[in-house]
Amino acid sequence: MTQSGYTVTVAKDLADLIPSFMSNRRKELEALRTALAQSDFDELRRLGHRMKGAGSSYGFDLVSTIGKNIEDGAKASDAAAIGANLDTYEDYLAKVEIVYE
Amino acid sequence: MSKVAARPRAMGLSSGFRVLIVDDDPDMSEFLAHMLRAEGMDATTATDGEEGIAKVYAEAPDLVLLDVMMPGVTGFEVCSRLKSDEATAMVPIVLVTALDDSASRVRGIEAGADDFLSKPVRREELIARVKTLRRLHETRRELERRRLAAEVENREAIRRAFSRYVSPRLADRILEDAGSDGELFSRRAQRLNVVALFADLRGFTRITERTEVVDVVAMLNEYFSILTEAAYHHDATIFNMAGDSLLVGFNVPFPQEDAAERAYLTAQEMVSRFAPVATRWEQRYGVATGVGVGICMGDAILANVGSPHYTSYTIIGNPVNTAARLMQTAPANEVLMCGSVYEKVHHLLPANGVEPRGEVTLRGKEEPIAIFAARVAIVD
Repeated sequence: MTQSGYTVTVAKDLADLIPSFMSNRRKELEALRTALAQSDFDELRRLGHRMKGAGSSYGFDLVSTIGKNIEDGAKASDAAAIGANLDTYEDYLAKVEIVYE
Repeated sequence: MSKVAARPRAMGLSSGFRVLIVDDDPDMSEFLAHMLRAEGMDATTATDGEEGIAKVYAEAPDLVLLDVMMPGVTGFEVCSRLKSDEATAMVPIVLVTALDDSASRVRGIEAGADDFLSKPVRREELIARVKTLRRLHETRRELERRRLAAEVENREAIRRAFSRYVSPRLADRILEDAGSDGELFSRRAQRLNVVALFADLRGFTRITERTEVVDVVAMLNEYFSILTEAAYHHDATIFNMAGDSLLVGFNVPFPQEDAAERAYLTAQEMVSRFAPVATRWEQRYGVATGVGVGICMGDAILANVGSPHYTSYTIIGNPVNTAARLMQTAPANEVLMCGSVYEKVHHLLPANGVEPRGEVTLRGKEEPIAIFAARVAIVD
């Protein structure tokens, strides 16, 4: 565990895919913010579902967890819960450290 | 570097297993493609349902990994559409669904999915499922290959058997018509208008009396080779070979509008092609030989005749008997034909080369029939 508190272990052979994966997450965060500002719960639900599928596949379990929270929040039209999760997501993306094994 | 690391694992697998990944999330497609390529498989991607369907038709993949939740056409719809078209129904489809979504699995089964993969995707699960489906695919392909090989072998056996009777061209046509079950070998008898041609070797009996047995067999083989080649040249069907006589038929088993002309041209070719052999034999054995031919047309029965142990594809009837009688009276290098054949072939005959023999009552026949004789000009 490093100082950031967010450490992800990724299989070495996936290293080539990670820069694109991370860049897509940052774009995703912007899309989530936009959707939340517009109360577009359908889009929030779709994006959350996508995060849930992709995150753990790559080894980023928290991406999946946050994704599931966003999907559930969107189903319940719970903007506050979604907003809290987006903050966590933003913090996570800024600090996450990747270890290749 | 990932490619190098993956190589030892990919070594044992034959390449060429092609997987199409349909997913609107490029991160998922890339991840799946990466895993499959590491296992030595080919992977292509499509980003929505319509593109996925188009690529299945265009690329005929061996397996489809299909995401369920896609904007526009969903994975379920893609799956049912592919499974309801005969052309694509055999392509195995793995639906990629969220782990906690059992309702999706039920819908997927209804849509015809072959297997499921949970999202998030675990590498081991992905590889295990794909490998299982790949083995199934390869087994199915191998069975199909063997079935095709057996069918080809079966057709080849029929063709070999049939080509004892008919020219290779006719054998192929029989196979085309009969399908793979060799229906024409059945015992179904037919009444048909046939042209029967009998040919035999004049003077040969005298040669056999003064020749070694081995030589006789070789000579007969040479003679029959010439006659069967001439017969096949004009798409005749060979029905019988006995002693030194040969029976061939035209307009059987397939209609030949110009059956009489074919018969006459066959006779002409038999006589003229045998002529140089006759010359050689005469020099060697001092005995003149030559082919005599009888041709007649009329209704006859075409059937496989015999017992369960021995059958023969045969034509039976008046034209056959008459052709046999005509052959017996034809001297070397002469073609004797009944009037109905003459009517059809007289335009082929040389002006001075034909001679009406009037009406002849053949041995064993009550009605006299008109007979014409054509001498085949032998060019040395």
